[in-house]
Amino acid sequence: MWSYLGRRLIQVPLVLLVVSLMTFAITRATPGDPVTIMLGMQTSPEAAKAMREEFNLDRSLPEQYGLWIAKVLTGDLGRSMRLNDRVTTLIAERLPISLQLASAGMLFALLVSIPLGVIAALRRNSWIDYLCTGYTVLGFAVPNFGLALILIYVFSIRLDWLPITGIGSSEAEAGGFWKHYSPFIIPAIALGSLQTAMLTRLLRSSMIDVLSQDYMRTARAKGLLPANIVIIHALKNAMIPFVTMAAVQFGYMIGVQVTIEYIFAVPGMGSAVLNAVINRDFPVIQGFTLVIAVFFLVMNILADMMYALLDPRIRY
Amino acid sequence: MADAPALPTPAPIKFRGSLALAARQFPRNRAATIGFVILLLICLATAFAPWVAPYDPIQIKLSMKLKPPSFEHPMGTDHFGRDVFSRMLWGGRTSLAVGLLVVGFAFTFGVPLGLASGYFGGKVDNMLMRLVDAFLTFPPLLLAVALVGLLGPDIKNVMLALGLVQAPILARMIRGSALAVREDVYVTAARALGASPLRIVLSHMLRNMVSPIVVQLTAVFAAAVVSEASLSFLGFGTQPPEPSWGRDMSEARRFLGDAPWMFLAPTSVIAICVLSINFMGDGLRDALDPRAWRTRRSVKADA
Repeated sequence: MWSYLGRRLIQVPLVLLVVSLMTFAITRATPGDPVTIMLGMQTSPEAAKAMREEFNLDRSLPEQYGLWIAKVLTGDLGRSMRLNDRVTTLIAERLPISLQLASAGMLFALLVSIPLGVIAALRRNSWIDYLCTGYTVLGFAVPNFGLALILIYVFSIRLDWLPITGIGSSEAEAGGFWKHYSPFIIPAIALGSLQTAMLTRLLRSSMIDVLSQDYMRTARAKGLLPANIVIIHALKNAMIPFVTMAAVQFGYMIGVQVTIEYIFAVPGMGSAVLNAVINRDFPVIQGFTLVIAVFFLVMNILADMMYALLDPRIRY
Repeated sequence: MADAPALPTPAPIKFRGSLALAARQFPRNRAATIGFVILLLICLATAFAPWVAPYDPIQIKLSMKLKPPSFEHPMGTDHFGRDVFSRMLWGGRTSLAVGLLVVGFAFTFGVPLGLASGYFGGKVDNMLMRLVDAFLTFPPLLLAVALVGLLGPDIKNVMLALGLVQAPILARMIRGSALAVREDVYVTAARALGASPLRIVLSHMLRNMVSPIVVQLTAVFAAAVVSEASLSFLGFGTQPPEPSWGRDMSEARRFLGDAPWMFLAPTSVIAICVLSINFMGDGLRDALDPRAWRTRRSVKADA
């Protein structure tokens, strides 16, 4: 396993190199001049020239890439062209918010999928199994922003139970527990719906798989408590693919948050990329996509590692 | 697949036979059949939108604004008094066309890349897969947002971006099945008989990969429809006043309390589309895999 981890880690710089080339290429190969967008059409040629020089945009493309990479290796992602903040500062502000939202979404997915998946597997072809199937089928089909609008309509507008804005606002953070966390509920459910469907389906099928194994019969024959059998013998083994899938999906959620952050005005990573793309803020686009890619990569490697740690039969 | 009729061997006749068998299998799956029929109806209704749609989708009529669903307007009207049902039909043209073109794009680039990678292995595989890795390291929607945002909000760019996002996913999957199929005995036999690599790949391997490829293509189609809606929702796809499922949902946000039908209509349409595509994909997987075929005998045994 350690040699496998070593091989995976050796490949990381290579993948990151290609990723960094891609983020760079995406910004440079597309139309739209950031300087004209930042300063406007009527700007003086001197001001435009100064800005180009400040952000090295007057140099050749290989030089620009080289200068950027050299800085990235020292942990400096440059400055935003629009806000004049350091990109690393912006990430430090926004990454925690995105992580909180993704964690809330994953928490919802786990809270629903574990009981639903287990019960559906134990009571196959019962009404709860059909409910589970129906739920997963819908979870795959309804896009998260559509679900978000439905939830806002029901729980915020009609019932007036939950707030829809306030994530990351100073007012909410100064307030109590409810004021702080209640704005997360609707976005988290909308964000986690796809993962809930995926994880429920996975857990149901792996539970059914495990329940038909010989050692389950042995456990029953020994006279163990049914709850004991289900939780210790079956669930523990069925959780192996589940945990890895959850880890991969968690990394994925950071990236698909864009629409959710857009609806709920969340100052997270996704909305930052969205704004940066509209403003052609090259350093921000490059820095943020790079960080998100690294996060995604780390979660994937972590998932593979967990797989090996949880299942002693797996040897890489 | 497409290359079958050109082959001078007697195999094509047999192949048509197996396709016909698959076509007979498909209707036995009820959910898949219903999905197929609904999708077909949606495709026809949107394709013939100029004749089917009861109203002009962009004609503003403020006296009729925000009217709830009624007999004249089955899905109500929006904030400009435009008929939501007509907008859904017209908007579907873009969504489904983008879906189909993305499938075409992913197929033309993903399948050859995946086959080359899986068949040749070694250096070619290593190089291609590192490139695919790099693409897969970006969350798909974010990559599409970056590409479309920078290229400019236009439906052609949406298509290109979604194709670029989906092709590597398909390539990775094709490579996986190619690797598995490559080790099969009939491939070794074909090679021993002196078949050229091209022929082994096209007429021996590809044919045995039809089922996973078709299923994956339905998944690409569903993903493309949802992603197109997401991009339009964020303001990067179809521009107003042109009708679009995603864009219309974004507009509906301002009238959530007053006109819930404005967001419910596109949400349900997208969900129904994706649902039908998924059911159809499941049915195709079973129909194209002879091992999963349901014969009269096995159906009886199940019952």
